[in-house]
Amino acid sequence: MLILCEKPDAAMRISRALDEKGKPQKKRSDAVPYYEAYRNGKRLLVVSALGHLYTVAPKIISREVFPVFDFAWVPKYEAERDAKGIKDWIDAISRLSKDAQHYVLATDYDVEGATIGYTIIKYACGDKENETKRMKFSTLTTEELEESYSGLLDHIEFPTVEAGICRHFLDAMYGINLSRAMTVAAKHSSGRYTTISTGRVQGPTLSFLATREKEINSFVPIPYWTIKAKAEIKGSIYDIEYERETIDTRSEADAVVEACREKKGKVTDIEVKQFHQNPPVPFDLGALQTEAYSLFKYTPRRTGDMAERLYLDALISYPRTSSQKLPPSINYEAILKALSREPKYQRLAAELFKLGKLAPNEGKRDDPAHPAIYPTGNLPERALGGPEGKLWDLIVKRFMATFGEPAVKQSVKVTISVDGHRFYLRGRQVLKEGWMVFYKPYVQVDEVLLPLLEKGEEVEIKEVTQLDEFTKPPPRYNPSSLLKKMEDEGIGTKATRADTIETLYNRGYISEERITVSDLGFDVTNILNKYCPEVVSVSFTRELEEKMERIQDGNEKKENVLESAVNRLRPVLEELKQHEETVGQELSEALRKARMQELVVGNCPVCGTGKLTIIHSRRTGKRFVGCTNFFKGTCKASSPLPQKGTVKPTRKNCSVCGWPTIQFKMQGARLWILCVNPSCPSKEKKNK
Amino acid sequence: MNCRVCGARAEGEFCEMHAESCENLQRNYEAWKKSMGLSWADYLREIQKNIYAGIWVKEVAQCLLSSNPPKEGNSPVEASNI
Repeated sequence: MLILCEKPDAAMRISRALDEKGKPQKKRSDAVPYYEAYRNGKRLLVVSALGHLYTVAPKIISREVFPVFDFAWVPKYEAERDAKGIKDWIDAISRLSKDAQHYVLATDYDVEGATIGYTIIKYACGDKENETKRMKFSTLTTEELEESYSGLLDHIEFPTVEAGICRHFLDAMYGINLSRAMTVAAKHSSGRYTTISTGRVQGPTLSFLATREKEINSFVPIPYWTIKAKAEIKGSIYDIEYERETIDTRSEADAVVEACREKKGKVTDIEVKQFHQNPPVPFDLGALQTEAYSLFKYTPRRTGDMAERLYLDALISYPRTSSQKLPPSINYEAILKALSREPKYQRLAAELFKLGKLAPNEGKRDDPAHPAIYPTGNLPERALGGPEGKLWDLIVKRFMATFGEPAVKQSVKVTISVDGHRFYLRGRQVLKEGWMVFYKPYVQVDEVLLPLLEKGEEVEIKEVTQLDEFTKPPPRYNPSSLLKKMEDEGIGTKATRADTIETLYNRGYISEERITVSDLGFDVTNILNKYCPEVVSVSFTRELEEKMERIQDGNEKKENVLESAVNRLRPVLEELKQHEETVGQELSEALRKARMQELVVGNCPVCGTGKLTIIHSRRTGKRFVGCTNFFKGTCKASSPLPQKGTVKPTRKNCSVCGWPTIQFKMQGARLWILCVNPSCPSKEKKNK
Repeated sequence: MNCRVCGARAEGEFCEMHAESCENLQRNYEAWKKSMGLSWADYLREIQKNIYAGIWVKEVAQCLLSSNPPKEGNSPVEASNI
């Protein structure tokens, strides 16, 4: 029997779980490892893929030809330059499949897993997809794998495979055609070949970012004033808030300050509210990525990769899930008992058992393929690195917290009247920690305890000031809030969103953690908006996602979706071809600006408006840093640069003088970070 | 026609992005005038210094101030049409 897994670690775990002695033999077919295991007298060959071994590629290979609508699955090594090693894997699986009488697919139970498995079983094993059985599991623990093997599903999930195939064809069709259209236009205009990519999900995602960037860049703040005051109550000083959050004019704010300064206040009302705060719901992938970013600043991609690693180590359940539910079948009690072998979880698990019946606080979202993310109860077999250890701890504690009791909190609002003006003193307190006990240190408790006060009591106003404030622009997206936005808008999938964001960074369309859109990113979005607005429209992308979901549910045919996609894409590409010259000019200009941007070291501290840039002198051939305002005759800031080695802007400023810094490297030597300010005090120290 | 600020292709005196910023500048002047009693020129100077003002807005403000400095009390419309 040939059992096909998705990754080598999964193959190792599955073979170990299924071998009667728990000691499968590791063998190799050329360089490709596989495992030989025995169960009930049957010989099992467990082999893994390396993710996708096949990809969708256009039949016309030339990168200058578009539109292309004729696509087919091909071995990945035929389509991608850096996938040469894949040939060995396909050959090894083909060889091993020749002796097999039965086939079992044990890839991840989701769209990608099903598609990976289907293409290999079909193309490498010789059309065995109809006779292949399926293992379905959500954790790589021995118990679940044994159970899954003994209850093999009769066939692979064909509707899911259809949806997966459709997604790959759509992505290839949109991505390749639109990218070729723009790349070709830019090349014809500038004579230089630079890949300009976009895609079905990439386009709208970049469009969100460009829209936000425009809002920020064209934002005009409006002044307003706030009143801050301090009151002395029973020997302690407390901050009190003015009844109006904002005041529109300076004169009005002045009047309030004048009226309340050095006055006594009187407590006119005390409002006490108690409320329950339910435990958090279990993690789905998006929520885990958001929480890990907010607590540890891990990017969604990094969290996704680490969660995958923890899954392959059988420490957590399958992470690519949209579910916020934990069915009783996972056996809460057994998991908690197993976790309590770890000293740091022992007391917490015991506390949960004391509560009696274990019932998690579940969220609304469900996923037919997998439950929410939960710890399996296994303890690490290897020492987990810092970040992986933190992520595992977060998942364990979140799991425990979902079983906790609601927390009971109290808020107090004291109204203090000062010469007709009202101020509020606010207090907050946790009366009963409930679930919060299990989620420490990941839950913030921010208490403000107030002294006992009574109506009519006098308080002394110690300080009243007005603060000049301005309305603020909308915040920049960060990788986590962008992922949330994509999730809310229903574009991309839980498995691909983090990769889409990473691609935007890699293409140079966006940069930095608080995301900034580059000129190139703007221009690509503008061109798409101008000539093919449908491609960047969220509704169109969401519509396609919904159609793919319907295919998965068996309510839509892949062929219909692909045909309608071709019909919509064809006129878009014709439009782009018609305007090739203009599009090419705009893109060439954007690329030229992007190349210039790469040379910008930072803002010029001398004139404050120019940019310090790496410049190559036409006369001497030497390089130096100069201000862009030099050409306008308004700034002469310049600085010499080392003439050998490579120099790159670091986008960081010198901690001593605040000028921008560069990264300098000579071959075989260590990397230097240099301040470009010729008079930087740090250099004087060194020179002395 | 090219944008007075960035040189990009433009239908009016500014490209689409800088034109929108200029409109925002004009639209919000009333709020500044009411709350701080500033002249148009002082308003533009304040905007240039403000950390929350967008980069395109600052560029337009600089362009309006430097290309033909508005006289104190100039209305935004007069100033932007210079």
